[in-house]
Amino acid sequence: MTLAVDSLRADLSAMLDSTSVASDAAVLAALAVDDKVPATAVAPTTAEQVAPVLQYASEHHQGLIARGNGTKLSMGAPPRQYDIALSLREMKRVTHYEPADLTISVEAGMTFGEFQTLVGQNGLWLPLDPRGGPDATMGGIIAANAAGPLRQAFGGPRDMVLGLKIATTDGKIAKTGGRVVKNVAGYDLGKLLTGSFGTLGVIVEASLKLFPKPPERATFVMRAGTLGIARELRRGILRSPLDPMRLVLLDSGAVALLESSSPSDVQAGAELWVEVGGSHRVIERCMLELKHAAFAVGATLARREGAEEAWGKVSNLALWLQTKYRDVTVLKAALPLAASEEFLSYAEQEAEAERVRLAGFAQVGVGVVHLCLLQETMGANVTGLVLRLRRSANGLKGSLVVEHCPLDLKNQLDVWGSDGDDLPIMRKMKSAWDPEGVLAPGRFLGF
Amino acid sequence: MKPSGLAKELAGIVGKDGVLWNPEDLMLYEYDALSSLRQPDAVVFPRNTEHVVQIAKAALRRNLALVARGAGTGLSGGSVATEGGILLVFSRMKQILEIDLENQRARVQPGVVNLDLSLAVADAGYYYAPDPSSQKACTIGGNVAENSGGPHTLAYGVTTNHVLSLEVVLPDGEVIRTGSSHWDRPGYDLTGLFVGSEGTLGVVTEATVRLCRKPEAIKTILAIYDQVADATRTVAAITARGITPAALEMMDGFTLRAVEEATHAGYPMDCAAVLLIEVEGLKEAVEEHAEEIEAVCRENHAREVRRAKTAEERDLLWKGRKTAFGALGRISPNYYVQDGVIPRTRLPEMLDFIGSIEKKYDLRIGNIFHAGDGNLHPLLMYDERDRDQTARVMKAAKEIILQCVEMGGSITGEHGVGVEKNDLMPLIFSETDLELMARIKNLFNPLGHLNPGKLLPTGKMCGELRGGTAAGGMV
Repeated sequence: MTLAVDSLRADLSAMLDSTSVASDAAVLAALAVDDKVPATAVAPTTAEQVAPVLQYASEHHQGLIARGNGTKLSMGAPPRQYDIALSLREMKRVTHYEPADLTISVEAGMTFGEFQTLVGQNGLWLPLDPRGGPDATMGGIIAANAAGPLRQAFGGPRDMVLGLKIATTDGKIAKTGGRVVKNVAGYDLGKLLTGSFGTLGVIVEASLKLFPKPPERATFVMRAGTLGIARELRRGILRSPLDPMRLVLLDSGAVALLESSSPSDVQAGAELWVEVGGSHRVIERCMLELKHAAFAVGATLARREGAEEAWGKVSNLALWLQTKYRDVTVLKAALPLAASEEFLSYAEQEAEAERVRLAGFAQVGVGVVHLCLLQETMGANVTGLVLRLRRSANGLKGSLVVEHCPLDLKNQLDVWGSDGDDLPIMRKMKSAWDPEGVLAPGRFLGF
Repeated sequence: MKPSGLAKELAGIVGKDGVLWNPEDLMLYEYDALSSLRQPDAVVFPRNTEHVVQIAKAALRRNLALVARGAGTGLSGGSVATEGGILLVFSRMKQILEIDLENQRARVQPGVVNLDLSLAVADAGYYYAPDPSSQKACTIGGNVAENSGGPHTLAYGVTTNHVLSLEVVLPDGEVIRTGSSHWDRPGYDLTGLFVGSEGTLGVVTEATVRLCRKPEAIKTILAIYDQVADATRTVAAITARGITPAALEMMDGFTLRAVEEATHAGYPMDCAAVLLIEVEGLKEAVEEHAEEIEAVCRENHAREVRRAKTAEERDLLWKGRKTAFGALGRISPNYYVQDGVIPRTRLPEMLDFIGSIEKKYDLRIGNIFHAGDGNLHPLLMYDERDRDQTARVMKAAKEIILQCVEMGGSITGEHGVGVEKNDLMPLIFSETDLELMARIKNLFNPLGHLNPGKLLPTGKMCGELRGGTAAGGMV
């Protein structure tokens, strides 16, 4: 643990090309996680270079955090130990791509933007809208199982990963799954790695399933006014034959935040944003159905042109709000979907009582509710508020994770709040993959 | 014959009527749809999770293998106690515990029959998406163990995409609940690990699964071809056009004739192959896709393209498809079903290859494919009394699977590894990959007594298909 920085760097330089090992203070500072600056940073260019770094970290008890562009690193508890930043940004090759098969294999460091551009040339896409947007890396998206509102229609990364190549702490490269769309050979270790936040091994390459892009897309904004009407709207849409791509309820705080550029909209209450895709005829039909649904509950409907920018913000709340507010806390509650509005309503009341500004974005078709707390009043008891919200989520048989918050708050909270009876098994899982506990120490579930 | 000490102990847990120990009773449990393999020492029918816990503890104390079984429709020997021991049969745990339509999910016991779940929610306009061909018999527990697929998984995903949470009894009798009834519970995705683990990590005693809303419109298209290659090219062309049908199945002429004789579904008797294609969704989208698909079929020289005009016609076509294995059983004493996967663009090549294998080994091979996702089911006909022919079938089946691997595919798409292919695992996984899987297995099942001899290689000669009666297809 007390390895001299110089010898750490020298050892890593000997293993990698010395240019792949960073020692510059400014470079390292930029790689800080929760204000903790690593002693060194490495940027291997091949999977074969990643594995020995992990083995080295394990043998020398060096805390290592794997990263792409760092768009999701504010998720997780502060690291217990952080010596090596392992950047995968130098690994962005496409190792296999067969557009006609709708399959692709890419290295972990390729950005989502680069990826979508590449497959977009063949009319394909990966229907995800993860936090980090185009800057997120493929490895990071999978490691965080990062899905946004598009999950409504397409599921998340766990449903799109066909196979993974993983570097492990014993210095090996292992493969799980394959490149074909259907495969039940062996344990699906890819599922374990997806959403493991770099705590079991490091994803170095992924094979993914691709999807044809819808010919047209359209976003409709349904002005519900109240959460009660929004709930009726949600029920109507989920019972209708429609299959929306995105279905997000914005509470009045969220509407005001999103529309801050056009003050005329600020008085608006809750809105349900619905995106549909398909041919022109299909979209016309969807509009008709949505009109009926809106009419039935006395809501209004308007087509929203150029909605992609707004969707970009909605799927990237923490990074978007960070540019506007100093202290931003983003909570993610995962609930039975029918509890979304009730939970949002409770959160509004609680936030108001604490005089904390709240913006709620609820993926009401899947039960994922993001609450953004914008702390304007100093001294507001945000910790207490978060704990009450978590209790409420747990009461609804859901969970609540702090996805982003100021460090002082993070130091007072268990960001994951995990307490299931499978936790001991998960702990054993962690030890089996990372016996020395060097991968993102302390960051996930307290492991 | 007197009940053994084991039978008495099990009867103490579940009652006398919940245990079988007479050899003539056990005989019924010595096989699955792969083959007749071995009898268990006892069969026990738990009625609740606590029973399973007690049985697991008894197995542990007695150092006996513990194997879970649903309906025994599996095709890789997964639910047979190939090393003896206790066979846990879930036919008395078949309650649908909760249907929650508002949240689009259901909580079921493992013995619930796949189709029964869909039927239970059909009137409300919902269904359970994974639809293995054996769905009238197979159980959700078995589906979870094998990560079962089915024709309609092309658009909707396989079992793993539809399971939210599991209650699992671990080999030491501990009960855990994985995942949750909604998305994204923080933690490792143990649900995803358990699905498809073939009963080697724990015994599933309850599952929470997603329910899907029935589509507004369904169109079923039958495209008929005089050349097999035209059919396979159509499959690639449909995928390339950016259309994802709900199902895209292929049957060759040989299989079709057997199917038609058995079911009178209206399949042509004189063609080389058909595609059975289904599109679902909004009626506007379905109409557009159906037209586009029909155009693609014609461009690729379909002799005739038909649409099912009524629900009855559709059901009949599907009945033909889903009972095809049985139909072939009528014309051949035995058959071996291979289950391989290839990238779907390689289908034309693969069919040529299978044709050449047929000639090389002087066999009849019927082809039924989930063509849309490149999942092949060649059926190799034989008569097990003909030892030479049986040996040729085994060689041919192996060459086909090697070709799947060669093309970048997999050794199994949906039937599982079981005892059938565990020694083929090294064809697609390195020693490191397998060692990692073994490490995971040891975490849950350190003594290896839970469904022993399945999934991971047992150290026999690599890449050797089991010969003789072990692979003699049961019908």
